[in-house]
Amino acid sequence: MCNSTMLKQEFLKKWIKGLHIYNNLNKCVTISDRKKAIKLSADVAIASTRKAATHWSKALMDDVVSRDGNNIILVQQILGGGQNAEKNNSGLITCSNRILRRSHNNIMACRKARRRVVPRCVKSSSIARKLVKNKTRVLKSLVPGGQKMDGHRLIKETLDYIVSLRVQVDVMRRLACAAERFHP
Amino acid sequence: MGFGFDEIHGPISGPPETDSNSFTALLELPPPQAVELLIKEDFPAKPMPPPIFPSNIALIDRASKFSIYASPDNSPDSTAILPASSSMKLDLVKQEPLESDSHPNSSSPAVSNQSSKSGKRKEREKKVKESNKKSKKVAANEASELSGEKLPYVHVRARRGQATDSHSLAERARREKINARMKLLQELVPGCNKISGTAMVLDEIINHVQALQRQVEFLSMRLAAVNPRIDFNLDAVFAAESGSSIDNSYLGMFDPSIWPEGQINGSRQQLYQQPLHFDGLHQPSWGREDDTSNFISPEDSLLSYDSPPNSASLQSSKLKMEL
Repeated sequence: MCNSTMLKQEFLKKWIKGLHIYNNLNKCVTISDRKKAIKLSADVAIASTRKAATHWSKALMDDVVSRDGNNIILVQQILGGGQNAEKNNSGLITCSNRILRRSHNNIMACRKARRRVVPRCVKSSSIARKLVKNKTRVLKSLVPGGQKMDGHRLIKETLDYIVSLRVQVDVMRRLACAAERFHP
Repeated sequence: MGFGFDEIHGPISGPPETDSNSFTALLELPPPQAVELLIKEDFPAKPMPPPIFPSNIALIDRASKFSIYASPDNSPDSTAILPASSSMKLDLVKQEPLESDSHPNSSSPAVSNQSSKSGKRKEREKKVKESNKKSKKVAANEASELSGEKLPYVHVRARRGQATDSHSLAERARREKINARMKLLQELVPGCNKISGTAMVLDEIINHVQALQRQVEFLSMRLAAVNPRIDFNLDAVFAAESGSSIDNSYLGMFDPSIWPEGQINGSRQQLYQQPLHFDGLHQPSWGREDDTSNFISPEDSLLSYDSPPNSASLQSSKLKMEL
């Protein structure tokens, strides 16, 4: 479908842009540094293709920003033009601060919201429900920003996230194969 | 329509004393007629206690159904169970005065019977085909028009034998939405179609997401290992070409016959040294391989990465990867 092709194109462009930024920064020496940079720019690129329309992309961006303030703001600035572009240069600092604050609030809210499920009876329906609850909890931990979603929204976000992950994996795989062909 | 008007007029003629009476009268109706009763139609704005009997048969049916609503002191929660044939799923009708969406089958608006009771009611609209009296659940969830007092409420139809208070109905609506989405997920994740049960499907989904995330990690490690500097010259090519030309090249390559998909997959798999679990990704559920193969066409112009016969030309490709 045209849609997925365009999505892949967009992702690839943004990702390459991010890689170039990292290259210019010239701080990736070890292989693990490079790997982190590659993965990070890929994540930011795939999240920005969603243009903050989904919760998981916003949460992913928040996560990226909260991990390391400085460089990531630059990367975000260039890759996530649609999200932050409305703010002008003077507002960029406040914008990134807002993102950091929001991610911090998210983390705090998650810590408060967690509950423990204690099984009380052995009816099959309750066992089934407990299973589903456990699995939902695991899924919430996998999908970025999932902790704060209820079941319905979680499934919608998971759908979108799986599609985006597939795009990401596909493009990365092709690039990796192509790169290995040239540099065996 | 062979309606027994006597049966219908029975409950109507008498004043609607108790809800159960009307519904037992409804119960005596054969299912098709009862289904007809459940067809909704537009109601006029005025709430009128005595039902008006228009000439339209369908409206008469609905008048009978809503005659119980004529009294403004109706308790909101009394319900009754309509007889459900095995082929139809007749649902409970919440006993509250209601407005309804205009049904496509209904011909004229008119009927009376609008009580002035407001409140949140749940009913789901049914698409009843008159030729086929099966009732389908339609998740039309918005309140409708017509009465002067437009009350927003959610239409949810309760099934036979199930509670009809607002909470459980809301819950049921939510659950159905979740189930619909789960079905979508089942189609997306390969191998989930045969599994039944939410927990197992969730399991598969979790595995799939974890596998995809692991692949991302692994691929980024591969890319990091490929060259000492993370520098790929693809973007130079993209920058050189205008956006439109890229689109044209994509569109031109949409013919799947140009790109032998099997060969592409085969060549890719040859590259894999380690046993990678990429099988899931090659499945057509996601792999619209024609567009993936089309996607690599601009890359191909650089990498000549399309099929094994062309692999020899990779060396003479235009792209020079920074090494």
